[in-house]
Amino acid sequence: MNTRHSDECIRVLIADDDEHILNAYKEAFSEPGSTREVKALDALAAELFDAEADAAEEPHFDVVACSQGDDAISLAEKASNDGDPFDVVILDVRMPPGIDGVEAGSQIRKLDPNIEIVFVTGFSDVPLEELQRRVPPPMKLHYFSKPLSFIQLAQDVASMVKAH
Amino acid sequence: MTLLLTITAFALISYAILSGVITPTFENLELSAARTDLVRAERAIVADLENLSAVTADWAPWDDIYDYVSGHYPGFEKSNLVRPTLANLGLDMMAVYARDGELMWSQLLIGSEEHNVGELGILSPEDAAYNFLAKHHGETHKTLGIVRTAMGPMLVSSQPILRSDYTGPIAGAVVMAQFMNNSLLARLRERTEVNMEWFYFGDAGRHDSIIDSNMIGENGIKIDTSELAISSYTLLMDIFGNPVLVLGTDTPRDITGLGEQTVTAAMLFLLSAGVLVAIVMWFLLRNTILAPIELLTSHMNEIRKSGDLSANLDLDTGDEVGSLAAQFDILTSEVHEARKALLAQSFKAGKADTAAEVLHNIRNAMTPMINGIDRLKKAFRAADDLRISEATAQLLDPKCEPDRAAKYSEYINASFDHVRSANVDASEDMNIVMSQAHQIKAILTDQEKFANVAPVAENIVIDEVVGEAANVIPKGTGSNISVDLDDELNRYRVLAHRTGLLQILGNLILNAYESIERVQRSDGRISLSAIDAVIDDKAMVRLTVRDNGTGFTKDVCNRIFRRGFTSKREGDTSGLGLHWCANAVSSMGGRISAESLGTGQGAEFHVLLPAAQGG
Repeated sequence: MNTRHSDECIRVLIADDDEHILNAYKEAFSEPGSTREVKALDALAAELFDAEADAAEEPHFDVVACSQGDDAISLAEKASNDGDPFDVVILDVRMPPGIDGVEAGSQIRKLDPNIEIVFVTGFSDVPLEELQRRVPPPMKLHYFSKPLSFIQLAQDVASMVKAH
Repeated sequence: MTLLLTITAFALISYAILSGVITPTFENLELSAARTDLVRAERAIVADLENLSAVTADWAPWDDIYDYVSGHYPGFEKSNLVRPTLANLGLDMMAVYARDGELMWSQLLIGSEEHNVGELGILSPEDAAYNFLAKHHGETHKTLGIVRTAMGPMLVSSQPILRSDYTGPIAGAVVMAQFMNNSLLARLRERTEVNMEWFYFGDAGRHDSIIDSNMIGENGIKIDTSELAISSYTLLMDIFGNPVLVLGTDTPRDITGLGEQTVTAAMLFLLSAGVLVAIVMWFLLRNTILAPIELLTSHMNEIRKSGDLSANLDLDTGDEVGSLAAQFDILTSEVHEARKALLAQSFKAGKADTAAEVLHNIRNAMTPMINGIDRLKKAFRAADDLRISEATAQLLDPKCEPDRAAKYSEYINASFDHVRSANVDASEDMNIVMSQAHQIKAILTDQEKFANVAPVAENIVIDEVVGEAANVIPKGTGSNISVDLDDELNRYRVLAHRTGLLQILGNLILNAYESIERVQRSDGRISLSAIDAVIDDKAMVRLTVRDNGTGFTKDVCNRIFRRGFTSKREGDTSGLGLHWCANAVSSMGGRISAESLGTGQGAEFHVLLPAAQGG
């Protein structure tokens, strides 16, 4: 039986055939919101200028990336079998030459009914209704069109995990 | 050649039928006629015998002659048996015998000469015939038949002499005879109209060889056939029942001759009829089948050459060929429509696929760019939040305590470190943004290559696309603008890309419509026409879209096809633009031009396109 990661770290599986996109994902999801130096600077400013330090909790992501749908299925299956399943999988819809993101999402949904599945595509060639039919349930399915801010996406991913 | 062979075969078959079936029928008719002639000849002889018997019967049962041979009437001879008696009775010989066989009276005439009956060799007691002729053994006994005499064959009749009431006893015998000579033969021939003759059995006669009994068939007839006649023979028996004469008849082969003439005439008739029928058939085939099929074949070849499936044959012959042509027209029309739909669909599908791919690639390229800009924004916002100026002011304040001054100094240094770090990150992000911008440029450059690939050119009848293009005019706007399409438009065909031409014409018509709308004319009019043109030795078609709208100045005319040029008000533009139209016409190997007499004078747009075959 799968067990959800309980601490603040959100496990994210990302599949996209574009290397630049993958790097952008990694940066957006791996980079902590504030470095140690920035935190020290914020603390010093608070002391010197009577300002309050931003104590907001930054989400932490454990990101695993791959470039093909088949790899995403294998990684999701392994994580599920290891008892450390992913919270979220982000899939590009078109990932030639292998299977497309919708098929990968459908397979992953069968492996893990709790995982949040996020489709990100550069062209909406698969209607949303078909996505909802092939990768149910709708409340655990999310759809974003490129171009988009991955920083914003990271915040959205954190929100969707917290909501469930 | 086939026709000649058919006629020859027809003639051969006709000849075989005529000679194998009809000619034998004629021969059978001749054989039947020959048998009939022989029977008639034989019956004629029998009839003469019966006549002879009847004459004898007049004399034999007669009281006078009875009394004469009984010796009671001596004057009988003088009053009845006189010389003219034989002539009157048509006889050559007559003899009267007494009961004991004694010859009481006789007479034999050959011509006018009187001979002794003994010369005949049949009436003397030593002659074999004597007992058959001179004596009778009963009242009903008669002898009638042919007998061979020393002077030739004779018809002979002998009957016993009785009382007139046919009672006896037999007093003697009356013998009457007639030579079977040429005179009799002539009479029989005349009477029967049969060419007959007879000769002694055992003689060759006119026959090449002696005819004996073995030659006579079961029906008693022998038939010899020659080219000219059929000769029939039968045997005639004498009073002893033995063959004595051969009776022969010749039947001319007139029937076969007539038959052959008939067959020849029929052959000629059939041959003539065959040739006539063949000629008529050839003309009919030529006019009703071959010519329409040639038209159909020619039409198919024309379609194959020109690829123009919109051309109809319209062959209304009212027969099966016409029906075939109509079906062919329907088929080509359906294929034409299907091809149009397929081309349009493939064009749209191709455009859709290309658009999807381009969108996908551009959006992928834009994503890192947006994220880079996001980070830049975040970094600059963070730098903006730094309070370096305030810290510097506090540091320079003489009242600032050393410990606090050290902290302000630390803050200023940390701030600058943060800004430097943010600069480094920003530089990297800018590189990413620039890199992605170049990638998008490369994608667009790739698309320009595809944009130069000319779409498939079709053989298009002008009025097909003009009618469809005119649908761009908004409906139900209450405007009073008429669109006149020249009746001759269906004569012109161009080689062009259908969808492109539709869009060009639609754009020109819409521009004309809007131009008229702008001047708010009550008699707005858009007309479309076409004429043939030759440009650089190439056959072209010049399409003209004419309106009576705003028109334009010469200066505008020089710039009207340039990119971005519009004579419309801001926000009032629609359609693809004249710049696009000019590029599209150029890609089809054509030209576009415009002219106007000036503002308010209306305008004309001319589209020159390569002419297609089949027009």
